Amino acid sequence: MEYFKKVFKESIIIVIISSFMGLLSGTLLSINEKIIYAIPIILLILPSLNSLIGDICTVLTSRLTTHLHIGSIPPKVQKSERLVEDFIGLLITILLSLLVLIFLGFMIGISTGINIINPFLIIFIIILTILSLFFCLFILLFISSIYLFQKGKDPNNLLIPFVTSLADFLTPLLLITFIIIFI
Amino acid sequence: MERQDTKGKIVQETFPSEIVSIIGDILAGVILTLLILTFKSFLILIIIIPALLSLRGSLSGPFIARTSKDLIIGEFNTKSWIENVLATYALSIVTACMIGIISIMLDLFLIKMYMISMEMLIIIPIMAILLTLTISIPTSTFLNYLAFRYGFNPNNVVNPIMTAVDDFFTVICFYFILIMLGVP
Repeated sequence: MEYFKKVFKESIIIVIISSFMGLLSGTLLSINEKIIYAIPIILLILPSLNSLIGDICTVLTSRLTTHLHIGSIPPKVQKSERLVEDFIGLLITILLSLLVLIFLGFMIGISTGINIINPFLIIFIIILTILSLFFCLFILLFISSIYLFQKGKDPNNLLIPFVTSLADFLTPLLLITFIIIFI
Repeated sequence: MERQDTKGKIVQETFPSEIVSIIGDILAGVILTLLILTFKSFLILIIIIPALLSLRGSLSGPFIARTSKDLIIGEFNTKSWIENVLATYALSIVTACMIGIISIMLDLFLIKMYMISMEMLIIIPIMAILLTLTISIPTSTFLNYLAFRYGFNPNNVVNPIMTAVDDFFTVICFYFILIMLGVP
């Protein structure tokens, strides 16, 4: 049962922290219920936004872990061709996905009769939120993966739960902050 | 496999799965709004739901990543897979209990609705997440195996698809448990 023990031991704390952050996220949504319901299109696409940034970060973490295991990225915090290739690939993916998400979200919003105010500003806020999160989390994940790998731990077990729940919390937080700033 | 991925291949493999994820999550959002909004105890339920979705991500995501890593580096076998599954279930029970306990505290000190009993607030997340994992684990293992067998990188393909599947089933299972337990 060594694999069981390793997975459980490496994951338990971070999974508990991530569920706690999920509860914080729920509380944040409850507290800001008025802002969210004033711009219902945000409410409609919020689960997809959470999932988009979470997915991209999960793909990035699992790729970084595999790169480190097979040696295609050196276990040092330094720029490499492989890292740049991954960054550009994921950036293009996130931009294309955002376009589809915004298009589908607005189409469903219009077809269900949701009042869409300031559509261009809302699109700008959505893009700003996701790109800010992507740039920050990319750097955070890269440095953390190297650190954990050097310590002999599997970055997948710690970083994926941490980053998905961090994204679940930060996405509504940044969205609400930008809405307060710009609208 | 991972060593040779160009940015084009990353986009080519990740983007279609991401579209599936986006569609699944928009559907999950719509279903969530239509089904859960009707409950009288909605204020406390809306606090539990993001935690459950987050817990799903923090359990299922690493499970998929560990399986795909084992497949890629050639260390995948039945024993390690079973231990991986058992660890995921054990983690889910411990953390679902935590969600229940914190929900009780939030209900007592912040929401003050007292519409759901304390035992229910612990049982709901445990049953919902166990039911979701029972669907998610075999599905993700099968997809990981298929992706690997047909030359796709499981890291790029499986996680986004499973996010949609997991989010959708988390909401459905959550609703099913609420109905089963007669939550107001």
